[in-house]
Amino acid sequence: MKRLKTTLRFAVLSVLAAVICFPILFAVSGAFMQQWELEENLGPVLAQTEGMASWNLIPRAPSLASLVELLMDTPQFFVMFWNSLKLACCIVGGQLLMGMPAAWSLARFRFPGSRAVSMIYLVLMLMPFQVLMFPEYLVLDQMGILDTHGAVILPAVFSTFPVFIMQRFFAGIPEEILEAARIDGAGELRLFLHIGLPLGASGTVSAGILGFLEAWNMIEQPMTFLKTKSLWPLSLFLPQITVKDAAFGFTAALMMLVPAVLVFLSGQEYLEQGIAAAALKG
Amino acid sequence: MKKGKLAKITALFLALMLCFTILSRAADQAGVAVVSTNRPSNMVITHQVRASGKVVQNQETAVVTEPDQRVTAIYVNEGERVEEGDLLFEIDMTLLEEAILKQKQELEKQELQIKDAKSQEDVNAMQKANEQASAAEQYSLSTQRAGVGLQRAREDLAEAKKALEDFRKQKKEPQEDSAVEAALQADFEEKSEAYIQAEQDLSTVEWQIEYAVNEALQAARSQGILPNTATKTRSSPESEVPELILEEDPALLGGETQEPQTSQSLQTTQESQTIQEPQTTQEPQTTQSTQTIEEPQTSQNPQIIQDSQNTQNIQDTENPQTLPEEEGDLIIEEIEIQEIGIEESETAENEPSEEEQNQGEEVQTEEESSSGEAAAAPTQAELDEIEASVRESWQSRLDEAKKKAEEALSQKEAAQAALAQYQQERLEAAGDEAAAEEKQLIAQVQAAQDAYEDAAIAANEAEVTGSRNVQQAGIPNASSSAARTNELTYQQMELALLKLEALKEVRGKIYAPSPGLITEIAVTTGQKTTDTTAILMADLSKGCRFTARITQEQEKYVARNDEVTLTDDSGKEMEGLTVDSVTALEEEEGYLVTVQLPQDTELEMGEGALMTVTKSSAAYPVCVPLGALHVDERQQEYVLVPEEYDTVLGTQTRARRVDVTVLEKNEMYAALQEGIISLSQEVIVSSDKAVENGSRVRVEE
Repeated sequence: MKRLKTTLRFAVLSVLAAVICFPILFAVSGAFMQQWELEENLGPVLAQTEGMASWNLIPRAPSLASLVELLMDTPQFFVMFWNSLKLACCIVGGQLLMGMPAAWSLARFRFPGSRAVSMIYLVLMLMPFQVLMFPEYLVLDQMGILDTHGAVILPAVFSTFPVFIMQRFFAGIPEEILEAARIDGAGELRLFLHIGLPLGASGTVSAGILGFLEAWNMIEQPMTFLKTKSLWPLSLFLPQITVKDAAFGFTAALMMLVPAVLVFLSGQEYLEQGIAAAALKG
Repeated sequence: MKKGKLAKITALFLALMLCFTILSRAADQAGVAVVSTNRPSNMVITHQVRASGKVVQNQETAVVTEPDQRVTAIYVNEGERVEEGDLLFEIDMTLLEEAILKQKQELEKQELQIKDAKSQEDVNAMQKANEQASAAEQYSLSTQRAGVGLQRAREDLAEAKKALEDFRKQKKEPQEDSAVEAALQADFEEKSEAYIQAEQDLSTVEWQIEYAVNEALQAARSQGILPNTATKTRSSPESEVPELILEEDPALLGGETQEPQTSQSLQTTQESQTIQEPQTTQEPQTTQSTQTIEEPQTSQNPQIIQDSQNTQNIQDTENPQTLPEEEGDLIIEEIEIQEIGIEESETAENEPSEEEQNQGEEVQTEEESSSGEAAAAPTQAELDEIEASVRESWQSRLDEAKKKAEEALSQKEAAQAALAQYQQERLEAAGDEAAAEEKQLIAQVQAAQDAYEDAAIAANEAEVTGSRNVQQAGIPNASSSAARTNELTYQQMELALLKLEALKEVRGKIYAPSPGLITEIAVTTGQKTTDTTAILMADLSKGCRFTARITQEQEKYVARNDEVTLTDDSGKEMEGLTVDSVTALEEEEGYLVTVQLPQDTELEMGEGALMTVTKSSAAYPVCVPLGALHVDERQQEYVLVPEEYDTVLGTQTRARRVDVTVLEKNEMYAALQEGIISLSQEVIVSSDKAVENGSRVRVEE
């Protein structure tokens, strides 16, 4: 009976998992298809040809041609890849550098107006980019860093979301440990560096991973602030793909997925905690 | 999954990405064409036409010799240079001498043939003269006979009239009555005279028609059917009449007396002698002068003589007004002249007449040859046509004459009737006896009158018929060209002999007529010569010229009198020459340029050289090297300009196509229309790879 129950549960979950995983499978199989097959399958959707769109999970004529083309003949892809990596790393680094002390102070210190600051952070976190875009543009223009990577990095570095996540983790550190350290004669800085950071590491990592994924998929900011094409991140490469080079697009999408998956896998456990923390808060 | 393993995978991934980045960049860069650019410049487009050609002779000289001679030795080879007077080849003397002997014998034979033909001709001429004489005799006899008849009828009439008058005198008739009758009688006589006259006119016209028809046919036969102006003029009545007058004129001047005619005949003989003494056929000056001395009034004589003997030569016109009054008598007079002319020629032992005949023939031959018409024999239908046209042209005159004759007859009859009636009335009034006698007398007169009229008409007819016979006898025989042909053949043979003898004189050796280069030898030792070229040589004394072939494209830039520079094989340049001619080749595409070389040229015959003609155009502000100009499949010309684009890979240079209009171009540069390409715009002039619109390029500094 119990066995049957387990099997049933597994089957239901497998179906759900398959549904959720389908886009990934879609992208992977598409990456190994040839252009003509993709046009045949997607034509009705993208090129206004007769019939209904269809899909084969296993390509009829699998080929690595588009992968080779992408890797060997498309220097543009790599320019963008490295741009993306640069932006993501800088943003994550900056966020952690700026966010950790902020989150520590908000979590650990009670000072006049600390609640108001927390509220402002929350409000700012909820604000969509479209609202901030214009003020940001004016400020960046004033600073003279428009059309540089700095224009994308700088606003992202001061994002409130990582502060919010880390604050939760720092707030969860028991006061007794800190008291013990203080008795042993540790200063506030020592407390932050030697107790706060290690104990709040999972929060920091999950904030970093979330920040990385956000930066990696960032579209509006580079589109708004970067004019020079050579500065564009990889997220702007895919919008240039048309149905004419759909195969190329699928391959590029697959390649774009790789760093994100790697980052996710490396910080999977922390990320789960982080998301949970965020959920708790929400 | 272990942390370390993940880190390794990440590191590997990044390393791979780095690797591919480098690889793809290298691959990308490898496909970029390296180009060099240039700015358009302001320059003059010069067209330089280069073509190689060779030196050829201006003139070729063919050395020919007598045919059918055996060549014993040839002293030159093809391509050899000879000077004037150099021995070329030699022919066999024995064969030459044989040929000369043979030719001499042939010549003798020909001479004999000519003599035979001449004697035959003499006989023919004598026969002709006889015919003419007998016709004339026949004519004079018949006219005499008719004259006697007429005379007799006249006498009878006079007698009858006298008898009637006598009878009336005896009767002593009242004066008035006889006066009335006399008036009627006179009227009747006048009318009958007029009738005779009209009849004569009619027969004259008929005769003239016959004559004109005969003349036209003769002319057509002798000159071929082609009706030249002379024939036309002759067949029309307007010119026919003056012609007749011309013939008659001296007779008119001379009047009825015999004297001028005799002088005329004297002249005829003298004339014919004077004409033929100088060998020239027609020399108006000489004849005219002799004429003037003898008889100033008859200045037309030379022509008349020729007219009577050779009617072809009639040319002049004279005084047409004299015709109507004298026409009736004209024919007779003319015949008389002819008669005398014939007699004269007879008495002159046939010599002058013969000569005249010859001369006439000669004149005729000359006329024929000068008119340049091939004497094709006219067909019967054509002759009929000519005859019909002549007759038609005379028809109105004939009708008129007939009408006149009819009118005259009716008038005469009316007058006769009036007279008869009057006489009848008068006689009725008179006594019966006397009246019967007078009636009888009047009837007699009447009969005599009728007889006289008949005799007069008969006499006239006899004259016309006789004169026609004489005229026909006077038509010259068909001209025979045998004698002349023989003579010409003789002359040709004589010429051939002279040539052979001249060859013999130089011992059968043939020398070069001018300095030259032997280009072809057509004779072979031991073989016989032909009548065509024996040796062909380039005449060096006439200079030489350079010829080169150019394409149609090049022809636009080469014109007559353009300056040319020739470069020979050793690289030596000759300047200051000009293009002599540019002509299109007939068989293939292209043009032939010739350049006349100076006499002292160093270029040898047959030597090759390079010709250069340079022509400059106006200055063009926008000129690009020809390498910058491209043409698409629709023949649209364009240039590629480098243009910078902002791309993911940074600023890249690509080629952009700009369509242009080419104004002029040569082998190096093309002039473009202004306004499309600015002078500061760099233009791609060369590249290491094929570059198209949109191709990535890297501009070489």
